[in-house]
Parts: sequence; C-alpha cells; structure tokens
Amino acid sequence: MSPLRVAVPKGAIFEDALEALGGAGMPVEVLRGDDRRLIYRVEGVEFITSRPSDVPVFVEYGSADVGIVGKDVLEEQGPNVMELRDLGTGACRMVLAAPAERAGEVREAIEHAEVVRVATKFPNTARRYFEGLGRQAEVIELHGSIELAPLVGLSECILDLTATGTTLRENDLEVLDDISGSTARVIANRGSYRLRNREISTLVGAMHPDGGTRG
Amino acid sequence: MNYGATRKFSTTPGTRDILPPEATRLRELQSVVRERFGMFGFQEVITPALEYSEVIEEPNLRDAAFKLFDRENQMLILRPEMTTPIARLVAQRLGNSPPPHKLSYVLSAYRRASVGRGQSAELYQAGVEVVGSASPAEDAATIALLADVLEAAGLEAGAFAVALGQTAFYEGYLRHAAPDAAHEVLEALAAKDLVRVDEVSSGLPAGVAAAVRELPRLVGPATDGSLLERAAAYASGIGEAEAALENLREILRHLEAHGTLENVILDLGLIGRRNYYTGAVFEVYAGGMGFTVANGGRYDNLLRRFGESLPATGFAISLERLLHVLPEREEGSLLLLVGGGVEGTRLAGKLRLSGVPVLHLAEDPGREAAAAYARATGAFRMAFPVPDGVELVPVDAPETGETLPPEAVAGKVLG
Repeated sequence: MSPLRVAVPKGAIFEDALEALGGAGMPVEVLRGDDRRLIYRVEGVEFITSRPSDVPVFVEYGSADVGIVGKDVLEEQGPNVMELRDLGTGACRMVLAAPAERAGEVREAIEHAEVVRVATKFPNTARRYFEGLGRQAEVIELHGSIELAPLVGLSECILDLTATGTTLRENDLEVLDDISGSTARVIANRGSYRLRNREISTLVGAMHPDGGTRG
Repeated sequence: MNYGATRKFSTTPGTRDILPPEATRLRELQSVVRERFGMFGFQEVITPALEYSEVIEEPNLRDAAFKLFDRENQMLILRPEMTTPIARLVAQRLGNSPPPHKLSYVLSAYRRASVGRGQSAELYQAGVEVVGSASPAEDAATIALLADVLEAAGLEAGAFAVALGQTAFYEGYLRHAAPDAAHEVLEALAAKDLVRVDEVSSGLPAGVAAAVRELPRLVGPATDGSLLERAAAYASGIGEAEAALENLREILRHLEAHGTLENVILDLGLIGRRNYYTGAVFEVYAGGMGFTVANGGRYDNLLRRFGESLPATGFAISLERLLHVLPEREEGSLLLLVGGGVEGTRLAGKLRLSGVPVLHLAEDPGREAAAAYARATGAFRMAFPVPDGVELVPVDAPETGETLPPEAVAGKVLG
C-alpha cells in the first residue's frame, strides 16, 4: 500500500502541526530543514507542504489522505472532508474591526442596516456573518494586508483573523465584534478515512492536543 | 486577444466535449452496466431531462439545479439527480403493476458547478431503484449488484470498497439517549464534523457522551464481528437502535451469501445526506479517487411526496469517476486498412465478415501519414493490400510487419 500522505500547512500553524504529528511518532524533523522541497518522503509517510487555504483542496481530492488546517479555513471553504480532531493549538479569533476613531460611526451604520463595506480574506464567512445579523455589507475580497483597506478608504471595516491583536493595535483598529474562534483541526479525505481507517485513527488518536506540552 | 469570442464558442462551465477514445470507453461502460442490470432483472426507464421544479424538495438540490421557464411561466429544472424523477414515475405510472418495481437508468443529471472546484455540470450516471420493498435482502441485493457491476466494468475486487452504514441506528440511539442533543449531533455528523459531535456530547452524561463520540467512529471491515458487538453493547435495551442493528446484520448475512462481504467496510458514522436516508446507506470508494464512485441507500419516505407510501432503496454510479479509476484498456482490435482501390474495398468487406473491425482509409497517404492517422483513430494495426493478401503492420512496431492471406487476419488481430 502507498504511504500515507499528510498535508502540512505553512505559516502560523506550521510549528503546531509538526508538534502534533511529531507527538504521534511521525518523522517530522525533515520538514524543519529550510529547503524548498514540496514533497518529503520518509519512513513510510509522505509530507506535502502548502498554503493553509490549499490544504483542504488537496485532502478533498484525495491528493493527501490527512491534513492539518485552521477551522477558519474550513468554515470559509466548506470542503467535503472528514473533520476528525481539534488540536486546540493555533487559537485565534475571527473579528470585525474598524479604525478606532470611526468605530462608533461604523457600529451605528451597521445597527441602522446601512450598507457597509468590509474588506476580508474570508468572503463567505463575511457574507454569512452579515446575513446572520440581518445587516447589509459590500464584501471586498483581498488576499493580503487587510488592515490597509480601511486606512486608505477602500472599506469601512475589516473581517479578519487575529491571534494576539497586535496587528490590529499597530494599525489603530478597534474590534467591533468577536465572531468566532478557530483552532487547528485534523481533516481526512472521505475515501482514505474508510479505506485506511485503522492507520488514520491510530495517527489521529496519537496526536496530542497542544503537542503534549500543555495537555 | 478577444475574450468575448473565445467564450462564446467554448463549452459552458462544468461541461465538456467527450472525444474518442473516451466517448467509446464511456459507451462501452454503459453497455456493460446495462447488461449487468439486465442480468439482475432490472428494467430500464427513461425520464425527461426537464421536470417541474416542485418535483425536487431538497433545498440544496433545488439550488444546484439549472432553472428555466416554460410558456406558462412555470419553473422547470434540469433534473439534478435521478432518484426523485423515478419516484415520481413509479407513483404516477406504475400504480397498477405489482411491487417491488426494479427499475434502472443510464442517464445524465445536471447541476450548476462551482468553477475551480473540478465539478461537472453534467453527470453521467447509471443506477437502479427498488421501489416497494422494505426487505434488508433488497438492500443487500442492490449492494451486491453494485459490486458486480464494478467488477464487470474492470475494477478488481480488492480495488474498491463499499462503506456501509445504517442511519436508523445512530438516530435511534440519539432519540432515546440524548433527545435534546440529537438534532445538533446529526447535523454535525451529516457535515462530517466529528469535532462538533464531540463538542455537543460534552454536555451529556458521561456514559451517553462516550457512546455519542464512539458510535460514529466505529469503522472497519464487515468481516470483523467485534465492531457490531461494540455497537450492540451501546444499543442494548433501545428498541429502535437494536432493530436497526439487526437490519444491518441481516443485510450482512445476505451480502455474505452474495459473496461480496469482503468488499464491504462498516461505518456506523455514515449517514449520508440529512433527512433523506432511512436505513442502509453506502458509498463506494476506489483507490486513487478521493470522491465517491457510487452511492446509495434506503429512502423509505421519498415516495410520500408523490402520494404513495412505498419503501425504496437504490444507488447511482458516477460513470465518469468510474472510468477514471478503471485500469487502462489493453490493445483494441481496430484495423486501419490503407488504400487498395476497388480490391481494398472488397478486402475491407471480407475482413469485417470475419469479425475484424476495419477502418478503411480509401486514399493511401503514404506509410508515415497512415501511421499518424492510425494513432489518431485508435487503430493498433495497419493493413496494406498486397498480392494474395495483406501486409499487417503494428503501428508501434512497424519492423514486425508480416504478410498474411486475408482469412488469417482475424485469427491474428482478434487473438
């Protein structure tokens, strides 16, 4: 049988993912070298690294059997995959924020059901949030530096992910609403989950939440 | 570049032209599937591609359907799946024939596809519906037929697995043990979110919470009896869950009699679409394909929508996905006969009479061009008329050519 293929996200939860996989006895050290390989084959397992938002795509199509990804990405994309475990790491919040000096104005505009412009990397989440409130928003999708949008008048507010709030504070943005929390999740392809259930269940069961350091 | 013009002549998003040899393979697959359906006594039906939009009830399917309006301004949809149209057909047309109705179809369904997610807007499907029997033997028989079809199509027995669940089991357990949390747990499970199942279970008494967490995680080979024993321990004393489990056992006994138990993986967390399946539910997975190749199950409530109360079970195969996981086809027998004038024409007829498929290229374009043409048309051999016979030349190994009398060609080509 081919080796299990595991999709590991680069970026913020990369280290958390390695710790969880390492805790389950996977040879993750190869991933720490800073070469530019995309696929790592070691001891009966294959790792691939990708942008966090691409992890569910690889897993949904079965190009990876298992993956680690933030709940924020899963909520945004709604991929058809098995969500098996909450690792508890990489905790961050999805918030609605606006420049501090105009925060009151924006809050009032939303309350009065005026159309506000919101910049975000999470357009589906933003649409659902405003629909849930019964309020209207023009959602502007960006791919980086969301904080810039309200500073230059592209939008009145932003919907973004924050771990510590540092970036928000640095840009003088005030949180208007705390929408949801997100942590790292283990996902599996639907077919792999059934065809290789024993392997995958053992792996997922052995991954310690918090990499074993806090739990 | 003129993008406007380019778009106008491309196929619409999610659809595509199917070219040879793929179209041939699809047609061949369809005829294998039809033949196997026939061997099990299923009768084929054809329903219209257009239906009134009211026929489909499920919001997700209605959203996904292409819509149009007829002259009376009634909203029509292109059927987004086949089971509901067949349920409608049974309720409207077959009132006078004795159940169970064993119907099959080989037709396309249509759904609006999201661009960039590799989804098709036109789904080539084949499937069966057994309407009018609640017997677990019928559930087993449809699963066995499905396995039979897949093997007849060329998938080896070990190359695919049928994941089998029983929706009434977990639902029955929840309704009894955790009635207030049941809805939320089932929504989470339908979304395949076991993390959320765990979250909801944390508010329940410890024993119940453990069962709520473990039951949907019971996955393993159907030949392994311990799985059902563990499930039975939790279900003990809960009539609805015990009945569902017994139903599942009966299905497994029949599957064993069919000789297909080795292909089955039990998955007690598999419940399929929410509020649709009422008993057995199954999905087929094949190595190398992350999506289901086929799926189906028991849907005893659907016919009520059309004024009948008939229990039913069935499955649909995605033919394109099945084609994708089938092993590459071996050498075909098409022969490209090149030139030869009137004698060539006579020869072509003679060869076809002996059973050899012949593509006759009337004008001889020269050997190299003929070989290129043979490759483009899927012919594995070329034949050049020579006195007293033909020179038979394999396209990919021209040096192994040989001269044969016409009557020896069939033996050579058809093997």
